[in-house]
Amino acid sequence: MIADQLIAAAITMTTPILLAAMGGLVNRQAGIVNIGLEGKMLVGAFTAVVVSSITDGWLPAVLCAALAGSLVGLLFSLVITRANANMIVAGLGLNVLIAGVLGFVLNWYFDASGTLRLPDVTLLPHVLPSTVSSIPVVGRTLENLEPLTIFAWLSVAALPFLLANTRLGLWIRVSGNAPQVARAMGLPGKNVQDFSTAFAGFFAGLGGAHLALASIGLFNEGLTAGRGFIALAAFYFGRDKPVATAMVCLLFGFLDATQIRMQTAGLPPKLIGTIPYLLVLIALCIVGWRASRKESPS
Amino acid sequence: MADTTLPANALMPLLDKSFRLAFPFLVALAVGAAILLIIGENPFDVYALMAQESFGSLRRSSATLSAATPLLFTSVATAICFRTGVFNVGVEGAFVLGGISAAFVGFTLPVYFGSAIIPLAFAFAALVGAAWLYIPGLLLARYKVDEVVSTLMLNFVAFGISGYLVNGPLLSRESGNNVTPLVHEIAQLPRLLPPSTLHAGFIVGLLVVAAYALWVKRTPSGFESALVGFSQRFARAVGISIPATIILVMVLSGLVAGLGGGSHALGQLHRFADGFSPGFGFTGMAVALLARNSPLGIIFGSILFGALASSGTTVQLFSDIPLDLVNIIEGTVMIFAVVELGRITLFRRSVRS
Repeated sequence: MIADQLIAAAITMTTPILLAAMGGLVNRQAGIVNIGLEGKMLVGAFTAVVVSSITDGWLPAVLCAALAGSLVGLLFSLVITRANANMIVAGLGLNVLIAGVLGFVLNWYFDASGTLRLPDVTLLPHVLPSTVSSIPVVGRTLENLEPLTIFAWLSVAALPFLLANTRLGLWIRVSGNAPQVARAMGLPGKNVQDFSTAFAGFFAGLGGAHLALASIGLFNEGLTAGRGFIALAAFYFGRDKPVATAMVCLLFGFLDATQIRMQTAGLPPKLIGTIPYLLVLIALCIVGWRASRKESPS
Repeated sequence: MADTTLPANALMPLLDKSFRLAFPFLVALAVGAAILLIIGENPFDVYALMAQESFGSLRRSSATLSAATPLLFTSVATAICFRTGVFNVGVEGAFVLGGISAAFVGFTLPVYFGSAIIPLAFAFAALVGAAWLYIPGLLLARYKVDEVVSTLMLNFVAFGISGYLVNGPLLSRESGNNVTPLVHEIAQLPRLLPPSTLHAGFIVGLLVVAAYALWVKRTPSGFESALVGFSQRFARAVGISIPATIILVMVLSGLVAGLGGGSHALGQLHRFADGFSPGFGFTGMAVALLARNSPLGIIFGSILFGALASSGTTVQLFSDIPLDLVNIIEGTVMIFAVVELGRITLFRRSVRS
């Protein structure tokens, strides 16, 4: 019974991180480290709640969230690729700016401080009939399964192929890993980078939509709670490989889900919450240590 | 190229330079103005009100300086690294840890230490901050671990550690949730203009900026670190140790950030509490970028952002304009501070050959 709940919670917690990480991974393959994922998730969550309330449907809400995310991503990308802004500072600035804009709109238009509750917010539907809940261990997970989780895992399955075997996938990788080759081949490197950032925004927007519409159906300024950075940690840890990154996301989702239970077991949740970040540090150290050993074999 | 149209008088380059320095802030003000226009407010009125609320009286001015105090530290801490080409975004974490360290010393040491507690608390805060940023410095210098990611991650670790301490071992028994006990009265920094919260930490901040200016202008290591930031290859060629410089600036940055946290804990809050820093580290980054790492610019920038923060609250109270306007301005400044101004200058000069 506990395993049942834990798995279901872990899968749900994984989805937003996974979506953002898949977007960020493609973006990084194209040579842009996207520090602004957090902000784009927030935009997605906000858009999803507002559109869901207006249209009374989850699909337009999710689509609008993704579009809003990619629009922000595109603008962000233009600042980096066309105006040569430093991507780290611009990304941090973007997060501050988005938090400001959303807070402003929330306060001024919706007259709400921090939390936005709207009537008739349609949540993401469960795709499988509720009878599946009788299946042992994974029953609850299957029952909770919604379209975005399925989409997220489908993208994990598809991305390795798309990145390795399609023209666009190769363009993305070449413009990130060997910009001079891309230039020599006459590829529109900057356009490809812009596309990848918009793509990252699309996925981050979806991740935000999942956060808002999976179960709570409202928007809060602190809704993302650093998940954009966890996603960043995930694809750094997974070294930009979709499947490895997805496994890391699963681990982080699992940690997230166990946090509350750890607390009852007497372990401090705040310290447990730092594990993803520590893991990334350790992973980066190992990678760096290996590289430095290879450089000077002695 | 022969068509170098030199400016006619000497004032022009100066004007040009100050325009370029002010450019990000002007854009941010324009963005803010556009938003104010959309919601049907007169931007000039709002900005005038903000200016009046931040500098209109002695009381308001001291509130502004009080809000600027933590920024003096965090922007110096950021500038030390940025001018060396080290993208340290971990000032926030070191600031928070410095704060909890100073508060810990401030309420743990017995009262008979007297006012010696203050330097001890500052020293401990600086030590913790320096040790904290020594980690990413070492990782970058030795293993080429990307400092942006490591410092970003370490921020969250710092929040986790301080959040754990303030809810666990260091939780105040009397005051309920998420705060440590108050530091001893003797360990609190004196207030400079009593009704306002402006405290001696502001003086310490100015001293830190002065020390930074000295380091930049008068010391070999300050010069060497600028060279490293200018060109690592050149610096290596003239015999500067890049790893040593990286570690040095990281440790210095952590030291200053830790001092800043200490000043905020001992002077402003008199304790450590959850939500200790509403992003002082990141605002400090905006200040350092806006100031292009210049000491004088840092003082101006800190006061500017202090003014925004202190007037934002009252503007929200009086005129129904959300405080988030301040965040919008800050974010815009950060983005436009790094946008390459290539062709955006007042007077066109074709110097490029």
